[in-house]
Amino acid sequence: MEETLAIFIASTLRLAMPLMLAASGELVSERAGVLNLSLEGMMLTAAFFGALGSWATGNPYLGVACAVGAALCVAAVQAWLSVNLRANQLVVGIGFNILALGATTLLYRIIFGGLSREEIPGLPKLAVPGLIDLPFAGTAFFQQSVIVYFGFALILLIWWTLNQTSFGLAVRAVGDEPRSADKAGIPVARTRWLAVLITGAMAGMAGAFISIADIHTFTENMTNGAGYLALAAVIFGGWNVGRTIAACLLFGAATALQFQLPAMGINVPTAFLLMLPYLLALLAVAGVVGRLDPPTALTLPFQRGK
Amino acid sequence: MTALALQMPDRRRLLAMSIPFLAVVGSMVIGLLLIAASGKSVPDSIEAFLDGAFGTAFAFGASINRAVSLSLIGLGFILAARANLTNVGGEGQIAVGGIAATALALWPPIAGLPLGLAVILPLLAGTLAGAFWGGIAGVMKVRFGTNEVISTLLLGFVALLMVYWCVQSTALLRQPQTSSSTLPESLPIPDSTKLAGLTDDPESPLHIGLILCLVLALATAIVLQRSTFGLRLRAIGLNELAARRAGMPGSILLVVALGIAGAFGGLTGAIMLQGEQFYLKAGFSSGYGFDGLVVGLLSRGSTLGVLAGALFFGFLRSGGISMEIMAGVPSALTLVIQGLIVIAVAGSVILVEKLQGGQR
Amino acid sequence: MAQSASPPLLALDGLGKRFGSLQALEGVTLDVQAGTVHCLLGENGAGKSTLCNLIFGVYAPSAGQMRFGERPWLPSSPAEALEQGIAMVHQHFSLVPRMTVVENLMLGQAKGILKRREFGDRIRDIADRFGFVLDPDAVVGELSVGERQRSEIVKCLMRDPKLLVLDEPTAVLPPGEIGALLDICRRVADSGRAVILVTHKLAEIAKVADSVAVLRTGRLVAKADMKTADMGALVHAMVGREVKPLDVALSDSKEADSKEGDSTDAGAAPVRPGFALVCDGLCVQDRHGATRLDNFTLEVRPGEIVGLAGVEGNGQSELGMVLAGLLAPTEGRYFIGETELTHASAAAVTAAGGGIVPEDRHAVACVTAMSVAENMYLNKLDRFTRFGLLQRRALNEAAAVQMKEFDVRAAGPDVAFSGLSGGNQQKAVLGRELTLDPLVALIAAQPTRGLDVSAVEAVYRQIRAAARRGVGVLLISSELDELIAVADRIAVLYRGRLVGERPAEMGERGAIGALMSGQGI
Repeated sequence: MEETLAIFIASTLRLAMPLMLAASGELVSERAGVLNLSLEGMMLTAAFFGALGSWATGNPYLGVACAVGAALCVAAVQAWLSVNLRANQLVVGIGFNILALGATTLLYRIIFGGLSREEIPGLPKLAVPGLIDLPFAGTAFFQQSVIVYFGFALILLIWWTLNQTSFGLAVRAVGDEPRSADKAGIPVARTRWLAVLITGAMAGMAGAFISIADIHTFTENMTNGAGYLALAAVIFGGWNVGRTIAACLLFGAATALQFQLPAMGINVPTAFLLMLPYLLALLAVAGVVGRLDPPTALTLPFQRGK
Repeated sequence: MTALALQMPDRRRLLAMSIPFLAVVGSMVIGLLLIAASGKSVPDSIEAFLDGAFGTAFAFGASINRAVSLSLIGLGFILAARANLTNVGGEGQIAVGGIAATALALWPPIAGLPLGLAVILPLLAGTLAGAFWGGIAGVMKVRFGTNEVISTLLLGFVALLMVYWCVQSTALLRQPQTSSSTLPESLPIPDSTKLAGLTDDPESPLHIGLILCLVLALATAIVLQRSTFGLRLRAIGLNELAARRAGMPGSILLVVALGIAGAFGGLTGAIMLQGEQFYLKAGFSSGYGFDGLVVGLLSRGSTLGVLAGALFFGFLRSGGISMEIMAGVPSALTLVIQGLIVIAVAGSVILVEKLQGGQR
Repeated sequence: MAQSASPPLLALDGLGKRFGSLQALEGVTLDVQAGTVHCLLGENGAGKSTLCNLIFGVYAPSAGQMRFGERPWLPSSPAEALEQGIAMVHQHFSLVPRMTVVENLMLGQAKGILKRREFGDRIRDIADRFGFVLDPDAVVGELSVGERQRSEIVKCLMRDPKLLVLDEPTAVLPPGEIGALLDICRRVADSGRAVILVTHKLAEIAKVADSVAVLRTGRLVAKADMKTADMGALVHAMVGREVKPLDVALSDSKEADSKEGDSTDAGAAPVRPGFALVCDGLCVQDRHGATRLDNFTLEVRPGEIVGLAGVEGNGQSELGMVLAGLLAPTEGRYFIGETELTHASAAAVTAAGGGIVPEDRHAVACVTAMSVAENMYLNKLDRFTRFGLLQRRALNEAAAVQMKEFDVRAAGPDVAFSGLSGGNQQKAVLGRELTLDPLVALIAAQPTRGLDVSAVEAVYRQIRAAARRGVGVLLISSELDELIAVADRIAVLYRGRLVGERPAEMGERGAIGALMSGQGI
């Protein structure tokens, strides 16, 4: 039982990790008023280029850098389209997701071709001395690749930045009342750009986690909807960092149950467990969990004087 | 609106209208460049593409059938878009339509029904299931203010997993498991529930879904351009509060609009099942929903645009598959082209507005 | 007119601004001295806001120069203006409701890590210095209008500006708070800064201004030193016609109406017996649980025009939404004629004979991207529908007739509604609502806002004509003078409650004003 629980916690954390990274990044840009439906595409792009970089250089850390760089490129185009060209953020996001799926599959076939499922150099797991021996969750929490520790640090940093810095204040203002922010001298476009780039960087980490730290290879469409789940987690979390992280853990746990319940002799259709996060997210967007209060200017482009 | 459009210089209008066209051509060129960059022969690839799209009666028919599916999704999309609703749940609506049609077609009493009811009832079941699925998003929108992009997307994931569930479980639609190698699929539907073919050529998969599609396209055009219902959708899309103040049943119109979009999706699923695929399997709708969405987006609200776009993508996909088989160019290339088109068209909206004189 | 020999803080020379074919501002030459309160006077659309926006860097001028301090002044953005010492309190506050006062004030000011306490202390200091109180940790969304305005003023003063511009600062305030605002302005000027007060109500601010400039249709038509100015001449310059203000013109015609029609007197000749409109204890709570409308009870007889006065934001909007069928009251009942409409839809309100001219025309009354004809028949499209298809030609013909009847000027019934001027849009909306059959009651909220004088007169002519036909009219307005001119009696709304009722007479102006500000209840 104890072992099952430990495995369950470990797999929850493993499944929730990319969600937490991506969702906390997405949270920043949504608080700034930009919704990136392209989160899935950013993650997939990052997962691919992370794997490619790691494989080509033999250095998983360079792989992570490639992943973040690739996701930043996607984010930059997304920011340009949604902030400068005032394109429909949702449609652009869908476009990016189609493009990312096509491009990564195409490049994967061209570059890896016959070498399918080639193992790539992954990130080593670092144990935290002392804490690793804690019962139940010791190994689950403190025997992780460096990206996990770094990721948690980044999430904390995001939380702190949003609430305690002038940049965080600017982000919240341009997402709620861009006109007011503009009049207060806040550069609305630049703030939104930065917010989207933060999303890109975090999505890059998330993609790198999946391919480099977790699976150690790239497979076609390997993010498989994780980006959408992260978006759902932001909504479920009410645009609040702590609650969004909790939502990611909940979604991770729901997915982890598909491996756990059969092991415990409980027979629940896999399809239902796979469906569970989406059903929960549906309940969340339906406001069943509590009234939703999204940033007032979410998805609305800003143009001075209009 | 009309008067303003007429005053606009013709050249700029033409340019504004040609943006989707330019996006398509530009993306195709990028596609060809990618083929060249990957070291494959461009002429061979093009030949394989054309062969796969038009080469044989089978290829041609398959492309048209695909275009029929994309048209129907696209028509539903532009109807909902008239009310300023973005239905991105086409994939899921196809899925529930396919499930419902399969379930009914496999129900023993149905196969023996006369007067074509054996075909019509499963089609209707698929349509209603799709309408219900779209309607859920509509109800969520009017009751809880849920953005329909998010809800239709999430409902889409749920529907796809429902197909998976149906074909995994013998208690649902999975065929009886006779051996460990029994595939997770439904039984094939009886012949009497299949759509009639359109030609005598046994090679050609063309079926009467094409006729149905053209009739529905005409109906959609009339509804959008001539009907009071179409005008009401437009009013609700432009200013919901004012439309409601003017006595229009805002909530009902929104639910109906998404319900109709869903119905088109469900019908598509049923047609795919009864016309071409004949048994349900996981991922049977793969790609159709988003392709249809792209078709709807590119059409800029015009029915003819939907038909043209659907033909284009129908042939693109078929040709792409053939390119993969015959020239070794991954068919994911078509996804790249589609993605680029969507991004280019969405990104050029501001440009189009400027060219149209800033009036909307 | 310059009061001192020292160079002016702000000097405008031949300033002009065009928007497309519209010349919004032309040849404005003006000096503003440090240490003074300068009043910029003009009617709606005279170009005051445009002028402020030029000074503040929202737009670039299309002609002329500005100097600020020692240097030529051509700000590229409001940010530059703020940096260089010009701060502006806009008519629409630029505050983020979800954030606290201190967070709002730190926005764009604080760099790096937020020091909320330190900043809060600075806010208290400034409030102290200029003689008022403000809680830095209050959430802006929960503050009163006056408190929000003071937050805005503190926000400006924190930047230690040389010039403070206030755009229509009195429009949003209850009468009792205007004095306090003017005291703040005086203290700001006395601290060596210049203050520009923009307004169309000279009387309210006369006592604080040092000098005044009058704008009319984009041109500067008068400048004066306030000590020696002739108020009558200034008003004359502002309105550009004989001083026969709107209220006089309207009350003249009211009397004429009563004489000829004899039916504005409620008891005299009601076409229908009973009441046209009954509100019985209506309450509205917003989503945060705050009471916006509190036990509102009012009856309007057929043929009667009842004015509902009140400073904006005292529950008028909520009342308007309830009566339009767009918001369900939390308590109370609502009837038009004999029909109860408490939880009815907007369609039911229309069917029962409730004509609605909503406060926010663009948001509620019309679909600007659709044609004039479509808008004029938006609630009667069924009349032009056969087999589900819209008979567009019949629709356009009917609209053309109605446009003539209500003097809606447009190139034709099929042009976009957005191409019409505000006055013509309002006449079209009014025409649509007045041609309801049956029409029992008309509820018009702020129907003349933003309209020019001739449109205002046309609107009131139509409303009075409707009343003569036996329609009960509820006229919701924040323009007390107009209400006195048009209505038969005036009820006053304050903080969501009906606090009193007075006859619509000039002599009652003071009493009504007191009620509006919450005094004398």
